[in-house]
Parts: sequence; structure tokens; C-alpha cells
Amino acid sequence: MVASAVDSALRYRRASWQSRVRSHPAGPVTILFVVMLAGCIVASLLLPEQFRFLLPGNLSLVLRQIPNLGLVALGVGILMIAGEFDLSVGSVFVAAPFATAVAYDAGVPFALAVLIAIAIAVVIGLINAGITLGFRIPSFITTLGMLFIVRTAAPYIVDLYGGRKSLPFRPPEGFKEVLTVDVFGFLPAQFIWFLLFAVLAYLLLNRHFLGNHFFAAGGDPKAAQFAGINVNRTKTVAFVLSSVFATISGIFTITRVAVAQTNPQLFIELYAVAICVIGGLSLFGGRGSVLGIVIGACVLQLVQDIILLAQLPGFYLDMFVGLMIVAGVVINQAIKRKY
Amino acid sequence: MTAATTTAAAPATTATAPARTPLFEARGISKAYGHVNALMNVDFEVRHNEVVGLLGDNGAGKSTLIKILSGVVIPDRGSFFRNGQPVDISSRRKSEQAGIQTIYQDIALVRSMSIMRNIYAGREPLGPLGFMKMGEMRRTAVEILDKYVRIAGITSPDLLVEELSGGQAQAVAIARAVHFKRDILLLDEPTSALSVRETEKVLAIMRELAESGVSCVFVTHNLYHAFRVCDRFTIMAHGQNVKTALKADTSLNELTDIIMSH
Ligand SMILES: Nc1ncnc2c1ncn2[C@@H]1O[C@H](COP(=O)(O)OP(=O)(O)O)[C@@H](O)[C@H]1O
Ligand SMILES: [Mg+2]
Repeated sequence: MVASAVDSALRYRRASWQSRVRSHPAGPVTILFVVMLAGCIVASLLLPEQFRFLLPGNLSLVLRQIPNLGLVALGVGILMIAGEFDLSVGSVFVAAPFATAVAYDAGVPFALAVLIAIAIAVVIGLINAGITLGFRIPSFITTLGMLFIVRTAAPYIVDLYGGRKSLPFRPPEGFKEVLTVDVFGFLPAQFIWFLLFAVLAYLLLNRHFLGNHFFAAGGDPKAAQFAGINVNRTKTVAFVLSSVFATISGIFTITRVAVAQTNPQLFIELYAVAICVIGGLSLFGGRGSVLGIVIGACVLQLVQDIILLAQLPGFYLDMFVGLMIVAGVVINQAIKRKY
Repeated sequence: MTAATTTAAAPATTATAPARTPLFEARGISKAYGHVNALMNVDFEVRHNEVVGLLGDNGAGKSTLIKILSGVVIPDRGSFFRNGQPVDISSRRKSEQAGIQTIYQDIALVRSMSIMRNIYAGREPLGPLGFMKMGEMRRTAVEILDKYVRIAGITSPDLLVEELSGGQAQAVAIARAVHFKRDILLLDEPTSALSVRETEKVLAIMRELAESGVSCVFVTHNLYHAFRVCDRFTIMAHGQNVKTALKADTSLNELTDIIMSH
């Protein structure tokens, strides 16, 4: 008995760490990130006047920016692993937190005002899921529609009730500090929160049964259904999570800038998808990791910073995002062919 | 569970008087698709500890019978018994509750997921808050790989299914079914897409299963494979059961003749 247990323990070793790094979906992006980071450090040391990467001010700016898109990408990524897209996050990111600001401004208790935003996110996620799964429409289309509907409906509703399209957002004492203070004077709290949410997402994907179902539903819906997983319910949960993560990111943003407005923030949804693709998530679902999303978000922000520091034109970032998405599709196809 | 001897399992009684109540029986099964009588008044039984070969030419009705047993096709007539007791197998779930599991070649597993995650997909052992008991999953995954698919040469439960060969993937699907208490496995042409070496593995696994109390229904065209692994044969032709025989009472030639003559 004991001997056979030892026997099987030997026979079924866990894969070595080298082979796990090699086969990990976040492997390539990690290498890319390390190389880019090293390049930035070297450039900054060689040209301290022209390329001010290592200045504390620049580093904490980068760390402060990463969570904005990073949080959105966590939700979008979980949904992508479950086999669906969410482009509506771009407008949910704006509209749901705006509702919090309006409610709070109107005297609603703060906690409830935040809950209102989350509730809006849940409802939008449920509608996205209902239409996509109920009518078997590609979620790309459903959520693209939702992107524009929410983007135009939010200012319309505000108009209807004679509200302002831009409100100061002054949450109760302490809230802003907890969310955005610089720890030790240089490490933005947002970044720590982002890492905490990433850990939650990791636990959800890798340790929780829902994560198992996300991977199964995205990897092969038929096989998942066959194994007794309710694929539609699983995907619905992922749609809701995507909306909620975008809303949380939006709340961080209005807290940091102290203003909530209905103006569209363009391309958030595409940046989020790009982060996921850079991070090694499959566009066809079923493959990916939280580590990939986190590092993908870092890479994107690093590229933006390089463009800033090198004083390159801003559209280079969009070009990079475009290239990454196309490259992601090509690589995905290559992987698909391999198996 | 030592080296498989293909004659040891079935006692040498006549085909009409089994020593024990059969594990599973289907009686008087009929199924028509429009004018085509896919099955006409078919009796079929699965005994304890056996591999039973379901043989016959193309269109004989084998797959229809398998689909009925797995609950995805409802027969027009017929009744089912498990250990002599009537059972309802009118849906996949009910069929599984009756201990039956079909091993499909293509849709059984999620290829992008690990063996361990596949084994537990949809039936994760859960701790507090819906978190999976990873330690228990790993331990049992290793245990069942060890017990049932040792033959297939799988080195780790963390391998992705797409890294496995066709035979290994089937072995995993079989192990999963057995672990979840299915004791009647239906394998419809499991070897048709496999290499010689892989086929050997699947045949060996069927043998081991029968010995350890899991009966297998092996649907195949290949009489050589069937004759090597089965304890008993049921031959179908034109929707009817035309012959049932113990291995001891028949020969490869006789089986070939029966199939050819219909
Ligand atoms: N879904 C179906 N619709 C119509 N006819 C069918 C269907 N399934 C099987 N049949 C017919 O039933 C007969 C038995 O088929 P099948 O059970 O697949 O045979 P086998 O698996 O032995 O080759 C064949 O004549 C086939 O054409
Ligand atoms: Mg067939």
C-alpha cells in the first residue's frame, strides 16, 4: 500500500518547472516584458537626460496607469477564457460609475451608490449573455451593439432628467485614500489593489469550480456539456464578471480624478482585448492565465511610457495595439494547426 | 488484475443459461426510422465481468442499439433490466444512473485542459465557498490513472489532453467513467482511428476492466480484435440479433461465416 503510493508518486511527477515555464501560456509575454524592461533600464542609464524611465515620478505614473486597463482586462480575459467577447466594457466602464456619482450627489448613502453601479453592471452582463446565448449570436456582435447603446443612452438619460454630464466625485473620507494613496510615497495603492484583484481572479480560475467550468466551456462547449456542465449558465457568470470588473475599474478612475462624466472613453474595450491577446489568451477560448493578463497590462503600459518618453507620436500606441491583435490571431491559428 | 487471459472470465455454460442474473438486459427492442427498421425485437445482454462483442456489417443496427442504451435514442418498444430489476434509461442522465457510460471518440474530453481537470469537469470535489479540493483531486487522479490506464503510458495528470495520443485520450475517458461508478462501458468502434500499438492498449484496458468488474460492450468491424478480447459475441444483421455465442463455443471462422451469410 505504502510502496504503491510512493510508486505512483514517482511515476506521476508534476512537470518540471522548466517545462512548465515553456508550456505556460504567459511564457512568451513574460520574456517580452523582461526584455522590454531591461531595454528601458539600459536606455535610461545610458541616456539619463533624454530617456527618463527610472525617475521615481515616471515609475509611479506607470504603476498608477496599469490598473485602469488591467482591471478591465481581468474581466474581459475571464470571459475570453470562457469563450466569449465583451466589447461593451468600454461604455460600462464610464456609465456604471457615473451612476454612482449621480446617486451619491443626490444624497444616496455611499455604499448603496456603489452597489447601484455594480447592479447596473450585473444587468448589462445578463443582457449581453441572454442575447448572445439565447439567440446564438456571436458575442462580438452583441456586445459591440451594447457598447454603442450604453454609450449613447447614458448621456441621453442624463439629458432627459436635466442632469449634468460631468459631476465632481467626492467620496466619503478615507475612500479615496484607501484606493489611491501612494504607499511608501511611490507605490500607488491602485497597483496593489490590481494585484489583489488579480489574485482573486487567479483563485477563481484555477482553484474554484467556476474556473474549471470557464476553461471547459471555452475550450470545448460540447465536451463541457457532455461532462454535465451547464455551459450557458457558466458563460453568463463570466459575462457578468466582465461587466463588474469594468465597473470596478471605472470607480477607481472617477475616484482618482475626482470627476465622473459621460464622455466616451474610446478604445478601452480594444485595449483590454489587446492586453489579453498579448498575455497569451486564446481568441477562441479555453486558454489563458491571469499572469498573462497582468503582464500583458504591464507591457501595454510600458509601450505607452516608451512612446511618451521618446516623444513619439501618440498613435504609435494604437498601431502597437492593432499589430498585437493581428499577431495574436495569427499565433492562435498557428497553435490551432499544431494540434 | 494480472496478465489478461481472454478465456478465464466467462464460465463455460451455454449462452441461454447464464450462471448469474445478467448485469444488464435489453428485451424486445424495436426502433424504426420512417420505413427503415433499424432494430426489430432485439434482445441483448451484458453479463458481469465480461467484454461482449457487438458485431455485424454496416447498417446492421449496432450504433442504434448503443444510442438506445446510452439514452440518446428512445426505442419504439422494449424494456431494460439491471440485475433483473426494470430500469428507465430514457435519457442520458438516467442511463448513466443505471451505470452505463458511452465512450465517444471525439467529444468526450476538453482538449485544451489537463487530464486532472477533465476527470473532474462538472463533478469537482468542493470545499468551502465552491473552491476545489485540489489535493484530493490530484491524489485521486493519480490513483485512477494508476489503476486503469497504467497501460497507456501517461506520465502526469497535468498533461493536456491534446498532448495525448488517441488511445491515451480514450483511456482517460474510460478512467473517468469508471471512477464515477459506471460499470457498463459502451465503446462504439473505439479502435477504428487508432494505430496498431494504440489499439493494443485499448484492448488491454478493456480486458483489465472486465476482470475488475466493469463490463464492456465492444462494437467493432474488426473480427480479429473482437475475437482476441471478447468473452462473448452478439452478431447483428438487418436490425436483428442473429447469433449470440460464448467464445468457447465458436470460432473466428464461424463468426465470419455468419456475418458474410446475411
Ligand atoms: N437517425 C437515423 N435516421 C434514419 N435512419 C437511420 C438513423 N440512424 C440509423 N439509421 C438506419 O438504421 C440502420 C442501422 O444503422 P446503424 O445502427 O448505424 O448501423 P451500424 O452501426 O450497425 O452500422 C441503417 O439502415 C441506418 O441507415
Ligand atoms: Mg455504427
